[in-house]
Amino acid sequence: MSFRKRLTSGEFVVLAEMNTPKGADVSELVNNARRIKGRVDAVIVPDMENGIMRMSALAGGVLMHQQGVESIINVNCRDRNRMALQGDILGAHVLGIQNLVIVHSEEMAKGDHRDAKPVDDMDELELLAAVQSLQEGVDMAGFKLNGNPSFTVGCNIAPSADDAAFEKELSLARKKVEAGAQFMITPPVYDLNRFSSAMDEFKKLGVPIIPTVFLIKSVGIARYIATYEPGAHISEDLIKRIRKAPDTETECLKIAGEIIVGLKEISQGVQIVTLGWEYRLPAILDYAGI
Amino acid sequence: MITAERKPMEELIECLKPYHRILLVGCNECVTVCAAGGRKEVGILSSALQMAFKTEGKNLEVKEITLERQCDPEYVEELVTHIDQAEAVMSMACGCGVQEIARRFKDKPVYPAVNTTFMGASERQGVWAERCQGCGECVLGLTGGICPIARCSKQLLNGPCGGSTNGKCEVDPDIDCAWQLIWDRLKALGLEDRYEENIPAKDWRTGRGGGPRKIIREDLVK
Repeated sequence: MSFRKRLTSGEFVVLAEMNTPKGADVSELVNNARRIKGRVDAVIVPDMENGIMRMSALAGGVLMHQQGVESIINVNCRDRNRMALQGDILGAHVLGIQNLVIVHSEEMAKGDHRDAKPVDDMDELELLAAVQSLQEGVDMAGFKLNGNPSFTVGCNIAPSADDAAFEKELSLARKKVEAGAQFMITPPVYDLNRFSSAMDEFKKLGVPIIPTVFLIKSVGIARYIATYEPGAHISEDLIKRIRKAPDTETECLKIAGEIIVGLKEISQGVQIVTLGWEYRLPAILDYAGI
Repeated sequence: MITAERKPMEELIECLKPYHRILLVGCNECVTVCAAGGRKEVGILSSALQMAFKTEGKNLEVKEITLERQCDPEYVEELVTHIDQAEAVMSMACGCGVQEIARRFKDKPVYPAVNTTFMGASERQGVWAERCQGCGECVLGLTGGICPIARCSKQLLNGPCGGSTNGKCEVDPDIDCAWQLIWDRLKALGLEDRYEENIPAKDWRTGRGGGPRKIIREDLVK
C-alpha cells in the first residue's frame, strides 16, 4: 500500500530518513535502501540539509523509486527561486515521486558553502500554495499547465524552546495546514509523556502527525542535545541509561525502538532519523517490532 | 540613511600607489551621519594616507573637499575647478556618490574609500542596523512596522522559520528574530489576526528582480 493510502486510511506509517551522498557514489545509499525495502513505507530524502551541498533530493528520490522504495523528498526555498522549484516539482512527479515535504532550510551561513548567495524567493507557506496551484494545473504566474502533477504534501513543525515558541509554532502549523499540508512531521521525541501533551495540541491541526525518532548514538550526543537543542527534553535518566549500558550502541538502538513502540499508541507514524547510521535501521525496526 | 564603513588602509594605499596628487571627496549626507565619509573622516584619511606614503619615501598631495551631496550633479559640479590638478579621485561617499563623480568626469579614475553597506537606522551611539532593502513594494503596513525583507535573514513574508529561538535568529544570537518582533508588535497592537493571514509570494519585479530601477516623475521632469 502506498504512503498516501496508508496515511489517508489512518494506518501507522514508518518513514526512514536517508541522506544523499556528497559525491556521485550512491552504492551506500542504495544498499541501505535495499536493507529496509518492504519494512518502511517510504524513505525521506533531505534537500541539502544543514546547508551541506550533496546530491539533490530529487535524484535521491528517483534512485529510491528505481530500487522499488517509495520516497518523500524534502523541498526548501533557500537554493532555488520559484522557477527552479516549480520546474523540479513537475520533474519530480514525472519521475515517479509522489510525496513532498516542504521544509525549513538551515542558513547558508551555517553550511559548507558559506559564501553562496541564498535565494529565499519564497517561504514555506508560499511554496505550499504554489504546489497546490500546480496540482490544480496552474503555475505561479497564472499560466495553465499541460498535465497536472499530484503529490501528498507535508510540512515540518520546528522545535520549540518554551510555551510561547510552541504557541507561535502551532499558529504557523495551522497556516501550513490551511495552505495545503496533508501531514506534519514533528521534532524528535525523547520523552513520551511530554510529547503526549504536545500531541493533544497537534491533533487539533486535523492532519496526521508524524513525530521524529532520532537515534542517539552516544552519551556525548545525548548530552549535546540536552544542552543545545531547545525543548528537546532529554532526561538525565535517559542519559544515565546510555552511560551505564554495557553496549552503548545496542542500548541506543533499543531506546529508538522503544520510542517507536510508544508512539504507535499516540501518533499516526514515525520518521526515523539515524544521520549516517542508516545501516542500523533494520535493528531499530527489529526493536520496534516492525 | 545609507550606511558605509571605511575600507582597510592597505586597500586604499594599494589603489593610490600610482598617483602623486589626488582629490579626496567627502559627502555631507548619510556618510557624515554614520561617521564614514564626512568632513571629519576626510581630514583623518587625508592625514593617514600622506603619512603612509611618507613612510614609504613617497609624496602624496591630497586636496580635501566635502560636497553637500555627492549623489547630486549640482554639487558634484563644484569639483570642476579642482579636478584638473588631480590624477585621481578618492570618494568617501556611498556608491551613488562614487558613480556620480565617475559619470561627470569620464577621464578621471575614481576609487571608493568606503564599502557601502545598507539602508539603516541608528540603534544607539556608534551602532547602525539594517532596516530597509528598498524592495519597491513596502509591506510594513502588514507587519506592524517591522520589515521582514530587511530584518529576517530569510526574508520570510510568513515567518518565523524553525531557526527562531528565544526571539533570536539562528544565523547569529545577536540578531533579533524579525518575526518575533513582528509577533510581539502585532500582539501589543491587538492585531494578532493579521499574523494568521498568509501573505502571498512577493513580486520581486519592484526590487532588483526587474533590473536596475529608475523613478521618473513626469511632473518634475524638465
